[in-house]
Amino acid sequence: MKTMEEQLWDYIDGLTTEAERQVLESKIANDPQFRDQYHALLAIHQMMQQNELEEPSMSFTRNVMEQVALEPQPLVLKTKVDPRVIYSIAAIFILGIFSLLIYTLSNSTLSMQEMAMPTLNVQVNLNMTELVNTMALRVFFCVDILLALIYADRLLRSRKSGRNFKEA
Amino acid sequence: MQQQTDLELIADTLAGKTASYALLVNRHKRFVFTMALKFVKNREDAEEVAQDCFVKAYKALGTFKQTAKFSTWLYTIAYTTAMTHLRKKRLPTNSIDEENSHLQLQHSISSYRADDVEKKSKYVYLNLAISQLLPDDAAIITLFYQAEQSLEEIAETLHMESNTIKVKLHRARIRLKEKLQVMLKEEVKELL
Repeated sequence: MKTMEEQLWDYIDGLTTEAERQVLESKIANDPQFRDQYHALLAIHQMMQQNELEEPSMSFTRNVMEQVALEPQPLVLKTKVDPRVIYSIAAIFILGIFSLLIYTLSNSTLSMQEMAMPTLNVQVNLNMTELVNTMALRVFFCVDILLALIYADRLLRSRKSGRNFKEA
Repeated sequence: MQQQTDLELIADTLAGKTASYALLVNRHKRFVFTMALKFVKNREDAEEVAQDCFVKAYKALGTFKQTAKFSTWLYTIAYTTAMTHLRKKRLPTNSIDEENSHLQLQHSISSYRADDVEKKSKYVYLNLAISQLLPDDAAIITLFYQAEQSLEEIAETLHMESNTIKVKLHRARIRLKEKLQVMLKEEVKELL
Protein backbone atom coordinates (compact mmCIF):
# COMPACT_ATOMS: atom_id res chain seq x y z
CA MET A 1 0.00 0.00 0.00
CA LYS A 2 1.45 3.31 -1.10
CA THR A 3 1.60 6.21 1.33
CA MET A 4 -0.01 9.53 0.50
CA GLU A 5 3.40 11.01 -0.28
CA GLU A 6 4.34 8.13 -2.62
CA GLN A 7 1.05 8.50 -4.48
CA LEU A 8 1.56 12.23 -4.84
CA TRP A 9 5.14 11.90 -6.10
CA ASP A 10 3.98 9.35 -8.68
CA TYR A 11 1.24 11.79 -9.71
CA ILE A 12 3.71 14.68 -10.01
CA ASP A 13 6.18 12.51 -11.99
CA GLY A 14 3.35 11.37 -14.29
CA LEU A 15 3.80 7.72 -13.33
CA THR A 16 0.17 7.00 -12.42
CA THR A 17 -2.44 5.19 -14.47
CA GLU A 18 -5.46 7.07 -15.78
CA ALA A 19 -7.68 5.61 -13.02
CA GLU A 20 -5.17 6.49 -10.28
CA ARG A 21 -4.82 9.99 -11.68
CA GLN A 22 -8.56 10.59 -11.51
CA VAL A 23 -8.75 9.34 -7.91
CA LEU A 24 -5.82 11.55 -6.87
CA GLU A 25 -7.22 14.61 -8.59
CA SER A 26 -10.48 14.12 -6.77
CA LYS A 27 -8.65 13.75 -3.41
CA ILE A 28 -6.59 16.88 -4.07
CA ALA A 29 -9.77 18.79 -4.84
CA ASN A 30 -11.74 17.58 -1.83
CA ASP A 31 -9.26 16.64 0.94
CA PRO A 32 -7.47 19.70 2.47
CA GLN A 33 -4.68 17.54 3.96
CA PHE A 34 -4.05 15.90 0.60
CA ARG A 35 -4.14 19.29 -1.12
CA ASP A 36 -1.61 20.89 1.30
CA GLN A 37 0.76 17.96 0.91
CA TYR A 38 0.41 18.09 -2.86
CA HIS A 39 1.26 21.79 -2.99
CA ALA A 40 4.29 21.31 -0.69
CA LEU A 41 5.66 18.46 -2.83
CA LEU A 42 4.93 20.32 -6.05
CA ALA A 43 6.86 23.34 -4.72
CA ILE A 44 9.90 21.13 -3.96
CA HIS A 45 9.57 19.48 -7.37
CA GLN A 46 9.50 22.84 -9.18
CA MET A 47 12.35 24.19 -7.08
CA MET A 48 14.51 21.17 -8.01
CA GLN A 49 13.59 21.53 -11.68
CA GLN A 50 14.58 25.19 -11.67
CA ASN A 51 17.79 24.61 -9.72
CA GLU A 52 20.60 25.73 -11.99
CA LEU A 53 23.72 23.75 -12.79
CA GLU A 54 27.03 24.81 -11.26
CA GLU A 55 29.56 26.54 -13.47
CA PRO A 56 33.18 25.30 -13.41
CA SER A 57 36.11 27.71 -13.75
CA MET A 58 36.71 29.49 -17.07
CA SER A 59 39.89 27.50 -17.68
CA PHE A 60 38.06 24.17 -17.36
CA THR A 61 37.84 23.27 -21.06
CA ARG A 62 41.39 24.49 -21.70
CA ASN A 63 42.71 22.33 -18.84
CA VAL A 64 40.88 19.27 -20.18
CA MET A 65 42.15 19.87 -23.71
CA GLU A 66 45.73 20.24 -22.44
CA GLN A 67 45.48 16.83 -20.79
CA VAL A 68 43.75 15.36 -23.85
CA ALA A 69 46.60 16.61 -26.07
CA LEU A 70 48.98 14.34 -24.15
CA GLU A 71 46.84 11.28 -24.87
CA PRO A 72 47.06 9.17 -28.04
CA GLN A 73 44.29 9.52 -30.59
CA PRO A 74 41.32 7.27 -29.59
CA LEU A 75 40.65 4.46 -32.03
CA VAL A 76 37.39 2.83 -33.00
CA LEU A 77 37.58 -0.77 -31.84
CA LYS A 78 34.73 -2.14 -33.93
CA THR A 79 35.64 -4.33 -36.90
CA LYS A 80 35.20 -2.91 -40.36
CA VAL A 81 34.39 -6.27 -41.99
CA ASP A 82 30.98 -6.25 -43.59
CA PRO A 83 28.84 -8.97 -41.91
CA ARG A 84 27.62 -10.01 -45.38
CA VAL A 85 31.16 -11.15 -46.22
CA ILE A 86 31.24 -13.35 -43.09
CA TYR A 87 27.79 -14.81 -43.92
CA SER A 88 28.90 -15.50 -47.52
CA ILE A 89 32.01 -17.40 -46.36
CA ALA A 90 29.89 -19.40 -43.89
CA ALA A 91 27.39 -20.19 -46.66
CA ILE A 92 30.18 -21.45 -48.98
CA PHE A 93 31.52 -23.76 -46.25
CA ILE A 94 28.07 -25.10 -45.36
CA LEU A 95 27.30 -25.65 -49.06
CA GLY A 96 30.62 -27.47 -49.51
CA ILE A 97 29.96 -29.77 -46.55
CA PHE A 98 26.45 -30.57 -47.77
CA SER A 99 27.66 -31.21 -51.36
CA LEU A 100 30.34 -33.57 -50.06
CA LEU A 101 27.80 -35.37 -47.87
CA ILE A 102 25.32 -35.76 -50.73
CA TYR A 103 28.04 -36.94 -53.11
CA THR A 104 29.29 -39.51 -50.59
CA LEU A 105 25.80 -40.81 -49.88
CA SER A 106 24.88 -41.04 -53.57
CA ASN A 107 28.05 -43.04 -54.35
CA SER A 108 27.82 -45.46 -51.45
CA THR A 109 25.99 -48.79 -51.66
CA LEU A 110 25.11 -48.75 -47.95
CA SER A 111 25.18 -52.57 -47.62
CA MET A 112 26.37 -54.06 -44.37
CA GLN A 113 28.47 -56.74 -46.06
CA GLU A 114 30.75 -54.25 -47.73
CA MET A 115 31.25 -52.22 -44.61
CA ALA A 116 34.40 -53.95 -43.50
CA MET A 117 36.99 -51.96 -41.58
CA PRO A 118 39.94 -50.90 -43.78
CA THR A 119 43.33 -52.35 -43.01
CA LEU A 120 46.72 -50.65 -43.17
CA ASN A 121 49.92 -52.61 -43.87
CA VAL A 122 53.12 -50.58 -43.59
CA GLN A 123 56.50 -52.26 -43.58
CA VAL A 124 59.38 -50.22 -42.16
CA ASN A 125 62.85 -51.42 -42.97
CA LEU A 126 65.51 -48.93 -41.89
CA ASN A 127 69.24 -49.60 -41.65
CA MET A 128 70.44 -47.07 -39.04
CA THR A 129 74.15 -47.75 -39.60
CA GLU A 130 73.81 -46.58 -43.23
CA LEU A 131 71.98 -43.40 -42.25
CA VAL A 132 74.18 -42.34 -39.32
CA ASN A 133 77.76 -42.25 -40.61
CA THR A 134 80.65 -39.80 -40.09
CA MET A 135 79.72 -37.63 -43.07
CA ALA A 136 76.15 -37.15 -41.94
CA LEU A 137 77.29 -36.19 -38.45
CA ARG A 138 79.70 -33.60 -39.87
CA VAL A 139 76.97 -32.03 -42.00
CA PHE A 140 74.63 -31.96 -38.98
CA PHE A 141 77.19 -30.18 -36.76
CA CYS A 142 78.14 -27.73 -39.54
CA VAL A 143 74.49 -26.69 -39.95
CA ASP A 144 74.19 -26.31 -36.17
CA ILE A 145 77.27 -24.06 -35.98
CA LEU A 146 76.03 -22.00 -38.92
CA LEU A 147 72.63 -21.46 -37.25
CA ALA A 148 74.32 -20.52 -33.94
CA LEU A 149 76.49 -17.93 -35.75
CA ILE A 150 73.46 -16.39 -37.51
CA TYR A 151 71.60 -16.18 -34.17
CA ALA A 152 74.62 -14.58 -32.41
CA ASP A 153 74.99 -12.05 -35.25
CA ARG A 154 71.31 -11.04 -35.03
CA LEU A 155 71.49 -10.76 -31.24
CA LEU A 156 74.53 -8.48 -31.37
CA ARG A 157 73.00 -6.33 -34.11
CA SER A 158 69.73 -5.87 -32.17
CA ARG A 159 71.62 -4.92 -28.97
CA LYS A 160 73.69 -2.39 -30.87
CA SER A 161 70.64 -0.78 -32.50
CA GLY A 162 68.88 -0.65 -29.06
CA ARG A 163 71.88 1.18 -27.55
CA ASN A 164 71.93 3.68 -30.44
CA PHE A 165 68.19 4.35 -29.96
CA LYS A 166 68.68 5.11 -26.25
CA GLU A 167 71.59 7.44 -26.92
CA ALA A 168 69.53 9.31 -29.51
CA MET B 1 24.07 27.37 -38.37
CA GLN B 2 22.75 24.08 -37.08
CA GLN B 3 24.41 22.76 -33.95
CA GLN B 4 26.27 19.47 -34.40
CA THR B 5 24.91 16.52 -32.46
CA ASP B 6 26.98 14.66 -29.85
CA LEU B 7 27.40 11.72 -32.25
CA GLU B 8 28.68 13.98 -35.04
CA LEU B 9 31.19 15.58 -32.67
CA ILE B 10 32.34 12.12 -31.54
CA ALA B 11 32.79 11.01 -35.15
CA ASP B 12 34.86 14.14 -35.83
CA THR B 13 36.98 13.53 -32.72
CA LEU B 14 37.63 9.94 -33.76
CA ALA B 15 38.57 11.18 -37.21
CA GLY B 16 41.30 13.30 -35.62
CA LYS B 17 39.55 16.67 -35.10
CA THR B 18 40.39 17.19 -31.44
CA ALA B 19 38.73 20.62 -31.47
CA SER B 20 35.37 18.85 -31.73
CA TYR B 21 36.02 17.25 -28.36
CA ALA B 22 36.34 20.74 -26.86
CA LEU B 23 32.79 21.42 -28.05
CA LEU B 24 31.61 18.23 -26.36
CA VAL B 25 33.35 19.26 -23.13
CA ASN B 26 31.73 22.70 -23.28
CA ARG B 27 28.34 21.14 -23.81
CA HIS B 28 28.50 18.75 -20.86
CA LYS B 29 30.94 20.35 -18.41
CA ARG B 30 28.30 22.07 -16.27
CA PHE B 31 26.42 18.88 -15.53
CA VAL B 32 29.54 16.77 -14.95
CA PHE B 33 30.91 19.44 -12.61
CA THR B 34 27.57 19.68 -10.74
CA MET B 35 27.51 15.90 -10.38
CA ALA B 36 31.10 15.87 -9.09
CA LEU B 37 30.27 18.61 -6.62
CA LYS B 38 27.55 16.43 -5.11
CA PHE B 39 30.21 13.91 -4.14
CA VAL B 40 33.34 15.84 -3.23
CA LYS B 41 31.84 19.01 -1.70
CA ASN B 42 34.59 21.44 -2.62
CA ARG B 43 35.00 23.13 -5.97
CA GLU B 44 38.71 22.42 -6.52
CA ASP B 45 38.30 18.68 -6.02
CA ALA B 46 35.07 18.66 -8.04
CA GLU B 47 36.86 20.37 -10.91
CA GLU B 48 39.66 17.79 -10.74
CA VAL B 49 37.13 14.93 -10.79
CA ALA B 50 35.21 16.50 -13.70
CA GLN B 51 38.41 17.03 -15.71
CA ASP B 52 39.51 13.47 -14.98
CA CYS B 53 36.12 12.25 -16.19
CA PHE B 54 36.47 14.04 -19.54
CA VAL B 55 40.02 12.72 -20.05
CA LYS B 56 38.84 9.15 -19.29
CA ALA B 57 35.93 9.61 -21.70
CA TYR B 58 38.33 10.79 -24.41
CA LYS B 59 40.61 7.77 -23.92
CA ALA B 60 37.64 5.39 -24.11
CA LEU B 61 35.80 7.22 -26.90
CA GLY B 62 36.61 4.43 -29.35
CA THR B 63 34.64 1.95 -27.22
CA PHE B 64 31.51 4.12 -27.06
CA LYS B 65 28.60 2.30 -28.71
CA GLN B 66 26.85 4.87 -30.83
CA THR B 67 23.46 3.26 -30.28
CA ALA B 68 23.40 4.61 -26.70
CA LYS B 69 23.11 8.23 -25.56
CA PHE B 70 26.49 9.91 -25.09
CA SER B 71 25.25 11.75 -21.99
CA THR B 72 24.27 8.48 -20.26
CA TRP B 73 27.69 6.99 -21.06
CA LEU B 74 29.48 10.15 -19.88
CA TYR B 75 27.46 10.35 -16.64
CA THR B 76 28.40 6.73 -15.87
CA ILE B 77 32.06 7.73 -16.15
CA ALA B 78 31.40 10.84 -14.02
CA TYR B 79 29.68 8.74 -11.36
CA THR B 80 32.41 6.07 -11.19
CA THR B 81 35.18 8.70 -11.23
CA ALA B 82 33.54 10.62 -8.39
CA MET B 83 32.94 7.42 -6.39
CA THR B 84 36.57 6.35 -6.87
CA HIS B 85 37.74 9.79 -5.71
CA LEU B 86 35.45 9.57 -2.70
CA ARG B 87 36.80 6.14 -1.74
CA LYS B 88 40.38 7.37 -2.08
CA LYS B 89 39.74 10.40 0.07
CA ARG B 90 37.56 8.44 2.50
CA LEU B 91 35.28 11.35 3.07
CA PRO B 92 32.52 10.87 5.66
CA THR B 93 29.21 10.07 3.95
CA ASN B 94 26.59 9.88 6.68
CA SER B 95 22.96 9.16 6.06
CA ILE B 96 20.13 11.05 7.71
CA ASP B 97 19.16 7.74 9.29
CA GLU B 98 22.37 7.70 11.26
CA GLU B 99 22.15 9.03 14.77
CA ASN B 100 24.85 11.66 14.51
CA SER B 101 23.63 13.17 11.30
CA HIS B 102 21.00 15.29 13.02
CA LEU B 103 23.65 16.97 15.17
CA GLN B 104 25.83 17.57 12.12
CA LEU B 105 22.89 18.98 10.26
CA GLN B 106 22.01 21.32 13.13
CA HIS B 107 25.61 22.49 13.25
CA SER B 108 25.80 23.25 9.55
CA ILE B 109 22.41 24.95 9.65
CA SER B 110 23.39 27.16 12.57
CA SER B 111 26.43 28.32 10.63
CA TYR B 112 24.20 29.07 7.69
CA ARG B 113 21.55 30.73 9.80
CA ALA B 114 24.21 32.96 11.31
CA ASP B 115 24.27 34.62 7.93
CA ASP B 116 21.50 36.84 6.84
CA VAL B 117 18.76 34.38 5.92
CA GLU B 118 16.95 36.96 3.87
CA LYS B 119 19.86 37.27 1.50
CA LYS B 120 20.17 33.55 0.91
CA SER B 121 18.40 32.20 -2.09
CA LYS B 122 16.17 29.17 -1.57
CA TYR B 123 18.45 27.34 -3.98
CA VAL B 124 21.34 27.69 -1.56
CA TYR B 125 19.32 25.78 1.01
CA LEU B 126 18.18 23.28 -1.57
CA ASN B 127 21.76 22.57 -2.65
CA LEU B 128 22.87 22.40 0.96
CA ALA B 129 20.10 19.88 1.65
CA ILE B 130 21.09 17.82 -1.41
CA SER B 131 24.72 17.86 -0.32
CA GLN B 132 23.66 16.33 3.02
CA LEU B 133 22.17 13.30 1.29
CA LEU B 134 24.03 10.07 0.64
CA PRO B 135 26.14 10.30 -2.56
CA ASP B 136 23.90 7.84 -4.42
CA ASP B 137 20.75 9.72 -3.44
CA ALA B 138 22.30 13.06 -4.40
CA ALA B 139 23.37 11.57 -7.74
CA ILE B 140 19.86 10.23 -8.44
CA ILE B 141 18.23 13.58 -7.57
CA THR B 142 20.75 15.42 -9.77
CA LEU B 143 20.33 13.04 -12.70
CA PHE B 144 16.53 13.12 -12.45
CA TYR B 145 16.05 16.86 -12.13
CA GLN B 146 19.12 18.52 -13.56
CA ALA B 147 20.07 16.07 -16.30
CA GLU B 148 16.37 15.31 -16.92
CA GLN B 149 17.08 11.62 -17.25
CA SER B 150 14.32 9.03 -17.05
CA LEU B 151 14.31 6.33 -14.35
CA GLU B 152 15.52 3.82 -16.97
CA GLU B 153 18.40 6.06 -18.04
CA ILE B 154 19.45 6.64 -14.42
CA ALA B 155 19.31 2.88 -13.86
CA GLU B 156 21.66 2.43 -16.83
CA THR B 157 24.00 5.16 -15.61
CA LEU B 158 24.26 3.82 -12.06
CA HIS B 159 24.06 0.12 -13.03
CA MET B 160 20.95 -0.49 -10.93
CA GLU B 161 17.41 -1.71 -11.56
CA SER B 162 14.90 1.01 -12.50
CA ASN B 163 12.61 -0.10 -9.64
CA THR B 164 15.51 0.39 -7.20
CA ILE B 165 16.05 3.87 -8.64
CA LYS B 166 12.37 4.68 -8.19
CA VAL B 167 12.46 3.62 -4.52
CA LYS B 168 15.73 5.48 -3.92
CA LEU B 169 14.42 8.61 -5.61
CA HIS B 170 11.31 8.52 -3.48
CA ARG B 171 13.32 8.08 -0.27
CA ALA B 172 15.79 10.79 -1.29
CA ARG B 173 12.95 13.25 -1.83
CA ILE B 174 11.46 12.45 1.58
CA ARG B 175 14.85 13.06 3.20
CA LEU B 176 15.31 16.23 1.21
CA LYS B 177 11.92 17.54 2.33
CA GLU B 178 12.73 16.75 5.96
CA LYS B 179 16.08 18.51 5.69
CA LEU B 180 14.53 21.57 4.10
CA GLN B 181 11.91 21.68 6.84
CA VAL B 182 14.59 21.49 9.55
CA MET B 183 16.76 24.09 7.82
CA LEU B 184 14.14 26.61 6.98
CA LYS B 185 11.71 26.15 9.90
CA GLU B 186 9.55 29.26 9.72
CA GLU B 187 10.72 30.24 6.28
CA VAL B 188 9.68 26.93 4.78
CA LYS B 189 6.13 28.01 4.02
CA GLU B 190 7.29 31.18 2.34
CA LEU B 191 9.96 29.44 0.28
CA LEU B 192 8.02 26.34 -0.70
